[in-house]
Amino acid sequence: MIETPLKSSTHPLATYIDRLKTGDTLLPDTQENLVEVVGILRSYGVVLEGYYQNLLYIAEHQFLVQFPFFKYFNGQVSPGKLLRHLWHDRLNFEYAEYCAKTMLWHGGGGVDTYLDSPEFTHAAQEAIEAKIKHNLPLRGLHRLLPEFLLEQVRQLAYYSALGQFWRVMSESFLTLSEKYDQGKIQSIPEVVEHIKAGLVAAADIPITYSVTLQNQVYEIIPQSAGLTFLPDVAVPYVETIFFRGTPFTGTVSYNAQAHQISPDQSRFQYGALYADPLPIGGSGIPPTLLMQDMRHFLPEYLHQVYRRTPRGENDLEVQICQSFQKSMFCVTTAAIVGLAPHPLDTMDPEQQQANQAYLETWMDRFLNSRLQDVQVC
Amino acid sequence: MLSTLILILVSGAALIGVLPGLSAARSRQLALVTAGIALLWTVVLASQFDPSMTELQLQESLPWIESLGLTYKLGVDGLSLPLLALNSLLGGIAIWSSDDSIHRPRLYYPLILLINTGVAGAFLAQNLLLFFLFYELELIPLYLLIAIWGGARRGYAATKFLVYTAVSDLSILAGFLGVVWLSGSSSFDYQPLLAQSLPSGQQFLLLGALLVGFGIKIPLVPFHTWLPDAHVEASTPVSALLAGVLLKLGTYGIVRFGLGMFPEAWSVLAPWLAIWAVISVLYGSFNAIAQTDMKKMVAYSSIGHMGYVLLAASAATPLSLLASVIQMVSHGLISATLFLLVGIIYEKSGTRDVTRLRGLLNPERGLPLVGTLMILGVMASAGVPGMVGFISEFLVFLGSFSVFPVQTLLCMVGTGLTAVYFLLLSNRVFFGRLSEQALNLPPVLWSDRAPAIVLAALIVMLGLQPRWIVRWSESTVSTLVPTQAAITQTSSIAIHSKFLNSSSNDRDPSEILNPSPSNIH
Repeated sequence: MIETPLKSSTHPLATYIDRLKTGDTLLPDTQENLVEVVGILRSYGVVLEGYYQNLLYIAEHQFLVQFPFFKYFNGQVSPGKLLRHLWHDRLNFEYAEYCAKTMLWHGGGGVDTYLDSPEFTHAAQEAIEAKIKHNLPLRGLHRLLPEFLLEQVRQLAYYSALGQFWRVMSESFLTLSEKYDQGKIQSIPEVVEHIKAGLVAAADIPITYSVTLQNQVYEIIPQSAGLTFLPDVAVPYVETIFFRGTPFTGTVSYNAQAHQISPDQSRFQYGALYADPLPIGGSGIPPTLLMQDMRHFLPEYLHQVYRRTPRGENDLEVQICQSFQKSMFCVTTAAIVGLAPHPLDTMDPEQQQANQAYLETWMDRFLNSRLQDVQVC
Repeated sequence: MLSTLILILVSGAALIGVLPGLSAARSRQLALVTAGIALLWTVVLASQFDPSMTELQLQESLPWIESLGLTYKLGVDGLSLPLLALNSLLGGIAIWSSDDSIHRPRLYYPLILLINTGVAGAFLAQNLLLFFLFYELELIPLYLLIAIWGGARRGYAATKFLVYTAVSDLSILAGFLGVVWLSGSSSFDYQPLLAQSLPSGQQFLLLGALLVGFGIKIPLVPFHTWLPDAHVEASTPVSALLAGVLLKLGTYGIVRFGLGMFPEAWSVLAPWLAIWAVISVLYGSFNAIAQTDMKKMVAYSSIGHMGYVLLAASAATPLSLLASVIQMVSHGLISATLFLLVGIIYEKSGTRDVTRLRGLLNPERGLPLVGTLMILGVMASAGVPGMVGFISEFLVFLGSFSVFPVQTLLCMVGTGLTAVYFLLLSNRVFFGRLSEQALNLPPVLWSDRAPAIVLAALIVMLGLQPRWIVRWSESTVSTLVPTQAAITQTSSIAIHSKFLNSSSNDRDPSEILNPSPSNIH
C-alpha cells in the first residue's frame, strides 16, 4: 500500500483522487469490468484499424478530389465491393470523419497551432496549386474563395493526424487483447498500465503529412514542424472526443437564446465520458455508427456477458456503449497518470501537493460526467 | 350460409367448454381455429355477396316461435357485411392477443366466441326480436369477461356496464315492442315493419326509445360513463373487442332501426341529433385531453369518434350514410389497434400513466416498433391522409356539410382536438430520454406485435385504396336515405337561426337560402 502523508482532498470526487494516488483506477477493478473493457477494446482495436487506414487513404490519395465517390474503398474498387458497400456491408467510416472534423472544429494543441501558421499556408498553397493546375473549376473556386481549399487541406491534415493516432491505439488495444488471452492481463490496473505504456512509448512519434502529386512529394506537415504523437494529437483528441464532443442532433431541442449550448466551446460536455448511452441506436447520434461497427467484432466471452442481461442482446448497442464508456475511463486514467507532473507515488510533500492540485483539476471536469454511473457493475 | 357462421362460433365455444381435459394452450388453439374458420367463412360470404344489389342477400328464414312473432330470419346487405367482417377479424385478434397463461381458459375463450356469435347474429338478424336476442347474448359474457379477468376495480366496472346495458336493452325492447304493438303487426320481421305507417307522435316516442337504448351502447354523451371504466378495467383483448365491435352494435342499430324504420321522425329530429353528435365529439375530445391514463384517453377518443357516425347518420345523405359505415369500420380498426398497443406498453412497463412513461421510441431499450405503430394509429385516428381514418372522416364531413354546416364544422374541431391529445400522448410517452420506469423493459415478442401489425396494415391499405371497403356499401346506403325531402336546409337553418341569430327569425327561408348581396353582412 502506497502511503499518502498529505491531507486528503475535500473535493466532491475525493474518493477518486485517493484511488488514483494509491495506484487504483477510476473504474472499479472487478472481473466483470475487466472482461467488458478488454473485450470492447479488442473490438475497438479492429474497428480502429479500418478507420485509420481509410483516414490515411483519404488524406493521401483523395487530396482535393472534386467528387470523392469512392473514398471509402481504399483504392480497391470492384463491382463486388461496390455491391457490398451499397448493402452497407462495411465499416462506418463516416464516424472516423466525424471525429476528425470535430477535432478540427475544437482545435487546440500543436496541430491546430501549426495549421494556422504561415509555414503551413505556404506548403498547402504549393500542394493546392499543383493539384488544381489543370482543373479550371477548382482554379476558379480557389481564386474566388482562397480560404476554402486551404480549409479543406486543414481538414485533410486532421484526417492524417487522427489516422496516425489511431494506428498506434489500434495496435495497443489489439496487443492488450492478445495479452489478456494469454493470461498476462488480469486486472483493470494492468489494463491501464498497458495503455499508459503504449502512450508513453509512442509519445515522441513524429506526426507528418505529405501528398504525392504528379510524382512529386509535397510535405504539408513536415517533420521540421516538430509535431509529436502525445502532446499534439493524443491530448487534443482526449480533450475533443472524451470531454467536449458535439451536441447530438435530433434528440433534444436546444434553445440557443437560453444558451442551452454553451457559447464557450471549452465548456462543452458532450464527449464520450459524459454521453448518455441510452440514445444509442437513434438517428442523429454519431456514436451509434461506432457501436454498430463494434458489434461485428465482439469476442464470444463478451457476447456471453451481454446475453446474461434482462434484455439479452436486444439492446446490444447500448450495452456496447456502456462497456465502451468504461474502457474510455480506463484510457483517461492512463492519460491522467501519464501526464501527472510527478509520479503519483512520490513521497515529496511539494510534489504530492502539486499532484493533488493536478488531480483536483481533472476531477472538476468529471463532476458532471458518468464517472459515478460506471461504478455500478 | 349465414347460419353456418353462427354455428361455427357456437360450436367452437361449446367444444372448448365441453371437451374434457383441455389445457390452456389447447383451449386457445381451438378458439383460434374457430375464429380462423369464422373469418374464412366470412370471406366466403363476401365472395357470394353482390355489391351492386340493394336488397338483402343470402337470406335464410325458419319459423321459430310464431306466436311471439319470432322468426329465425337472417340476411346481409352492404350495411352489415363490413361490420360482420370486422367482427370476425377482431374476434380472432382478441383471441390471439389473449395471454397464454390466462386462468380459467375454458370459460374465457367460449365467452369471447359467444360475444362474436351475438354480434354476428345481431348484424344478420332480420327480425327485431331475433336481433334483440343476439344483442342481449353479449351482455353476460362481457360482464363476466370484465368481472373475472379485469383489473383492480373490475367489479365496479362490470356492474356499471351491466346496469347501463340492461337499461339499454330495456329501452330497445320497449321500442321494438311498441313498433309491433302500435302498428298492429303480428310479427317482428324487419322488412314488413318498414311498410307500416305510424302517427308522427308515436314515431317520435319509439325513435326516442331506440335512441336512448342505442345511445347507451354507442355511447353518446351523457350515457357514456360506463365506457371509460369498462375499458380501463377490462383486459386488452376484451377492450379491443369492446371498442372495435361491440360499440358498433349501437351505431348499426341507430342506422338500421332508427333511421330505417322512422325516417320521418328522424328527419325532424336530425338537427338535434347533429347537435348531440357535436356534444359527444367535443365532450369526448376535451375529456381525452385531460386524461393521464392512456387507456382512458383512447376510451374518451372512442366516445368522440362515434359521434361522427351520429353526425353522418343524422345528415342522411347517400354520401354521409356511406361515410357512417366507413367510419364504423375505420373506428373499429383504429381503436382496436390503439387498445392492443396500449396493452403491450402496460404489460411491459407496468404502467399506462403518461406522466411516468418517456422515451419508449428508444431503438435499443424501448419499444420502437410498438411506438411506431402507436404513432401510426394516433395519426389514423386524427384523420391524417393515407389512412382509413382520413377517408371516413373526410366522407363524414363532406356528406354532412351540405345539410348541417355548423355542426359539421364543430365536429371538425374534434378532429383537431384528436391531434392535440394524441400528440400529447405521443410526445410524452415515446419521445425524450427513456424514463427510469422503462430502463429495463422485457422484450416484445413478435406474437405480441402481430395483431397490431395486421390491423395497421389494414388501416394503411384501406386508406390508400378505400374502394376496397366503399364498394360493399354504396348500393345499400342509397336505400336508407329518407324518401321524403324532410331534411331541408330550411329546417336546419331555422334551428341555427334560433340559437345563433334571433333577429333573423322573421326572415323568409328562401331569402336565407338564396341571400341577395344586401342581406350578406
